[in-house]
Amino acid sequence: MGNLNSINEMHDQAMIDHFINHIGERVICFMPSYPFMFIGGIKAVLGDVVKIDVETTHFAQLEKRDWYIHIHNIEVFYIEREGEIEIPKLDDFC
Amino acid sequence: MLRRYHVVAIPIRIVFNNFGDHNPTGAIYVLKENESTVKKRVKKNRFTPVELVQPLTIRANEGDVVEIIFENQLPYAAGMHFHEAEYDVLTSDGANAGLNPDTNVETGKTILYKISLPYKGIHYFSDLGNVSSSEKGSNMDGLFGALLVEIRGSWWTDPVTGERQSSGVFADVHHPFLPSFREYAWFFNDEMEVNDLTGNRPINPETNQEGVSFHGVNLRYEPLANRKKLIDEGVVCPEYEGEEVHHDSWVFGDPATPILRGYRGDPAVIRLIHGGVKETHVFHYHVHQWLSDSGNTLSEIVDSQAISPQSHYDVQPLYGLGSLQGAIGDTIVHCHLYPHFVGGMWGINRIFDTLQDGSQVYPNGKAIAALQPLPDRAVPPSSTKQKPGFPNFIPGRIGYKAPRPPLSIVGGRDLTELERNAAIPNARPGAVFAEPSLGNPPVVEFNVSVIEKKIVYNKQGWNDPQARFYVFDSDLDDILSGKKEPEPLVFHVPAGSSIRINFSNRMPEILQGSPFQLLTRTYETGFHNHFVKFDVLVADGANTGWNYDSSVLPGETIRYEWFADTELKAFFLHDHLFPGAIQQHGVFGGGIIQPRFSSFFDPKTGIEKDHGTQVTVSHPIIPDYRDFSLFVQDFTMLFDKNGRPIEPPPFPGSEDDPGVFGVNYKCEPLQFRLGKECDPAYSFSSYVNGDPVTPILKVYEGDPIRIRLLQGAHEESHSFNLHGLKWKSERADMDSASKDQQHISISESFTFELEVPLSGDYLWAFEDEEDIWLGTWGLIRAYDQVVDDLIVLSDRPDPPPRTKPLPVVTGNPPAPARLESALPPGASLYSPVRKYNVVAFQTPIIYNAYGDHDPFGIIFALAEDVNDIRLGKKYPEPLILRGNLGEIIEVTLTSLLKFDLFPFQDGIHPYPTVKKQAFYPPSVRISLHTNLLSYDVKTSSGDTVGFNPDQTAGPGEVITYRWYVDGAHGTCAMWDVADLRNHRSFGAFGAFIAEPRFTKYLHPNTHEPIHTGGNIVLSHPFLPEIREFVLVMQDGVRLEDKHQKVIIDPLDGVITKPGEPDLVDTYDQGSRGFNYRSERLINRYRDHPVLHDLFSSNVFKDPSTPLFEAYPGEVITIRLTSPAERRRAHTFHLHGHKWKADSKDLNSRVQSFVGNVIAGHTNDLYLIGGAGGMFNLPGDYMYRSGNIRWDMEQGMWGILRIHDQVMEHLPPLKD
Repeated sequence: MGNLNSINEMHDQAMIDHFINHIGERVICFMPSYPFMFIGGIKAVLGDVVKIDVETTHFAQLEKRDWYIHIHNIEVFYIEREGEIEIPKLDDFC
Repeated sequence: MLRRYHVVAIPIRIVFNNFGDHNPTGAIYVLKENESTVKKRVKKNRFTPVELVQPLTIRANEGDVVEIIFENQLPYAAGMHFHEAEYDVLTSDGANAGLNPDTNVETGKTILYKISLPYKGIHYFSDLGNVSSSEKGSNMDGLFGALLVEIRGSWWTDPVTGERQSSGVFADVHHPFLPSFREYAWFFNDEMEVNDLTGNRPINPETNQEGVSFHGVNLRYEPLANRKKLIDEGVVCPEYEGEEVHHDSWVFGDPATPILRGYRGDPAVIRLIHGGVKETHVFHYHVHQWLSDSGNTLSEIVDSQAISPQSHYDVQPLYGLGSLQGAIGDTIVHCHLYPHFVGGMWGINRIFDTLQDGSQVYPNGKAIAALQPLPDRAVPPSSTKQKPGFPNFIPGRIGYKAPRPPLSIVGGRDLTELERNAAIPNARPGAVFAEPSLGNPPVVEFNVSVIEKKIVYNKQGWNDPQARFYVFDSDLDDILSGKKEPEPLVFHVPAGSSIRINFSNRMPEILQGSPFQLLTRTYETGFHNHFVKFDVLVADGANTGWNYDSSVLPGETIRYEWFADTELKAFFLHDHLFPGAIQQHGVFGGGIIQPRFSSFFDPKTGIEKDHGTQVTVSHPIIPDYRDFSLFVQDFTMLFDKNGRPIEPPPFPGSEDDPGVFGVNYKCEPLQFRLGKECDPAYSFSSYVNGDPVTPILKVYEGDPIRIRLLQGAHEESHSFNLHGLKWKSERADMDSASKDQQHISISESFTFELEVPLSGDYLWAFEDEEDIWLGTWGLIRAYDQVVDDLIVLSDRPDPPPRTKPLPVVTGNPPAPARLESALPPGASLYSPVRKYNVVAFQTPIIYNAYGDHDPFGIIFALAEDVNDIRLGKKYPEPLILRGNLGEIIEVTLTSLLKFDLFPFQDGIHPYPTVKKQAFYPPSVRISLHTNLLSYDVKTSSGDTVGFNPDQTAGPGEVITYRWYVDGAHGTCAMWDVADLRNHRSFGAFGAFIAEPRFTKYLHPNTHEPIHTGGNIVLSHPFLPEIREFVLVMQDGVRLEDKHQKVIIDPLDGVITKPGEPDLVDTYDQGSRGFNYRSERLINRYRDHPVLHDLFSSNVFKDPSTPLFEAYPGEVITIRLTSPAERRRAHTFHLHGHKWKADSKDLNSRVQSFVGNVIAGHTNDLYLIGGAGGMFNLPGDYMYRSGNIRWDMEQGMWGILRIHDQVMEHLPPLKD
């Protein structure tokens, strides 16, 4: 935690730290902007941007690639951890 | 910026097409600068269309002030009334309304109109000097146009020359910062006088009877009847039938109707405008989709738009011309009502892939006019011999039907060299010249056939012996053997899929003749689809313009490829070759693009399935839901069990509303559900009559559901009402208003997403009087305990095991509902309770000062007002109840109905009639249903439906309903459900207004608290005081004149011509008005036969319809509803004022009309800027219907008066 002056800065940094602490885990996150939903593995955090190896979004054409997502634009997320609920594996016509 | 136009109204001969069909006494607006040119050209061209004879389309920019010098050369006083604009109603209304000066002008005179344009968009204008609904009326004759207001800073050029232009239906619009776009004004109009080349009414060559009335676009029409004559005479392709080549340019050349030209990918906007007078049309545009509200990204995606008279919409196709897939070719644009489509109401959007510089020709040698590329887009490649571009690579022959597409027919031909040069790299069956799919999507493949087989619609044996419908090939044997009952084909596909269809034509080549239709050789058919992406040249399932004929002959199979790029609602599937002949027999279905990753199950067995009108959808992330598809249908040509036709037309082949109605190939007419008590109050009761054969949509309490609402056939508007449940009008937008009613026309598709909170039977119904009479209703059945034939949603808790036996048919009316202490969903023990004591009774209602009256009126009133109403101290008005958000409303209803006070003692309501009149004696029981509020349908919906208890009150009986105001919904419609055939036309309706919490209701004259009324003041601690005006639009009224003679409206109200009885459909019968009042113009005309004076209070007294009063700038809310009762949709328009189209959604568009108003409709109009418009100008503002035929003459108008000085009787509002 750096030199934080306000509750908002602390909140924002805590969010970033949370993603840093879970590099290598799978995450599902929902955003208000297109394409709204991602599922994939957290590869890195660069500043306040998380790099996700996206396995699933709403649109197949946007999958199987790295996405750089502004952490503070994520409205809802869940990071999968051992022993906890698993994020579904989504396959077309599974 | 100030702009000036000099507009002249001139009498003119209007030639509609190259066959010489014309209106000899038309009238149009033209710019003064074009007046002499147009007159000269019309004089020279007596039997061919003249380019300038089109609806006047002029342009300005947002923020401009426009001065119009209007000059009248017509033989009657006329004017220009502008919708949407801001103006001084005393000088620029283009009307003679109330106490205003007359702003029409006499023949030979001029007037200056000055209007301000704060908003972009369509500003429709038309005449109000002559609103006769006869062929003498100005609007009927073509006197309408539009001022298109562009984004500030725009300019516009001629698409052919690139030069600036002053008027024209087509323009290229440019802006310094924004993309240029093609702008096409598309005016529907109808009912115009039309004569053929000989000066006589056109004859339909098929029936040898007079043709259908005029239905056109931009004062053009291209009916099949004309083109068929060329076939019959052997001029072109003599072996063909007609309808299958109606739109084929290979056979006939291009139509006279509009061709909207552009290049692939061009941004475009179609300004869709209804300039007609009567019909609600459906605009459908192949290949493309658009946002229903172009400025609101959360609005629904649509590809069809119902449009009622004097309303308008922007159609801005997503991805530009050719849509996402970049399709090229001819995409047809048409009214989807088949009699109108066949009658000539269509045009083409032509998408080129090569530059058109004026040097190219069509295959028939006609020159292709130049088309300027939009300046900010790449110039298309020039045509070459090897790559000539559309349409010149298609191997067709002039005078013959378009060729079949390459690769598509199983066993068919390969590509020619020119086709190969034009094709995509991986051309394949069903996708040859445009790539429909993105990337490498998963593929689903379906084998579908269309067959003919008798369908029985109900237990009484009503049947269609020539029913035609789609089936999955896997179901073919079971359907043909009778093991499986036919239903409209519905398949389910996850989003992101490529859909490959193998479609086989297994229909007989001949549609046999019948009392409904002439024998027709319907030898080919297509599988046309909406919404999904496809190559229009080869997979349209149609035969349009210079495209291929992508249909299939009997015994053959054709392949189509479609791509679903995202989740969609149900998309419509139907034939496009002979739909006018066969679609009403059942040739329609739907595909539903479900959320990606979803899977589908049989709701009874839990076995996975991919098709069916009822499935259960499971998804790994979002909640599971039940998915139900309902297709309403009209022109349904049924026979009774003895083989007698039911409601045949006057002669075979007539389009005069043949047949009856259905839902999903079923109907449950009310006449068969009287029960041994012969009481309509129990017609919907399953205790008395068993369950209906129409769909029963089964759920468990708490289940999420999605209802897919479609109309499969054929010509008419319908009004879907769902009792006791509601949905967000825009699924994606939680800010949108809640609705439980939806107007629908053919090809439209709606998805309603909701949850069923409590057990019970919920009535769904297409609920105008005639629809429901003929059986277009069914149930949602919600169980509170487990049943054997319904699986549980995987993410919902198991319902309790069954401890109560399921109800059974007893033949007897159910026990009365017992309200006890149960709370409606959402209410709490601490919710405040507001109580109303309501009485239903019969009393005469005086509709106007001329003595038109309903001697048999049935009204709801507060008990405290009954004596005053009976004694004539208080005028009856529709009961208006109110409650605030968070309140429980307890309504105690007492019935005082008497059988003797109905005007028919033989049990058959003689007027207004419905189809298939039958014994159905009026009930003396009554109920009160309200929409949108929250309640338990087993006690408080007013619906004695299914296995619900009795919720009606008999004479002297009392019933109590308990409703919860779970939102400030504004207007909720109220009506009786005990006897939908016999009560509503006498006035058994009203409205409930759900107000914000803490609102108080005050009398407008005293500011004392009041309990009811259509004109009140709302007082709220945080809000300014508001004037609330409630308008109840009503039709289907039985009135008598002062001599006790029944008024047979609409024809008795037509001003300048005797009636034409054969033109009046059952659903046009009856008088109409607002709030038990009707200012029928015929009464005024008899006193003072001057057309343009008929709305004037200087000549007459003020109208009998509600006179609403306010002061400039006061806050006004108009509550609009139409609880009763006919199928004809109306438009509501208020002069000089505007509001948000969705009262809850600030992002919704601004408009001055409400379209598609039909039984059950509700709306809330918060007037922007308050009384007097944005400039708060005093004067008299008309509110009225937009239907010149047959509403305005028949009394559907009134006045909002904005006083310029304080009146003693009207205290001003507090700020």
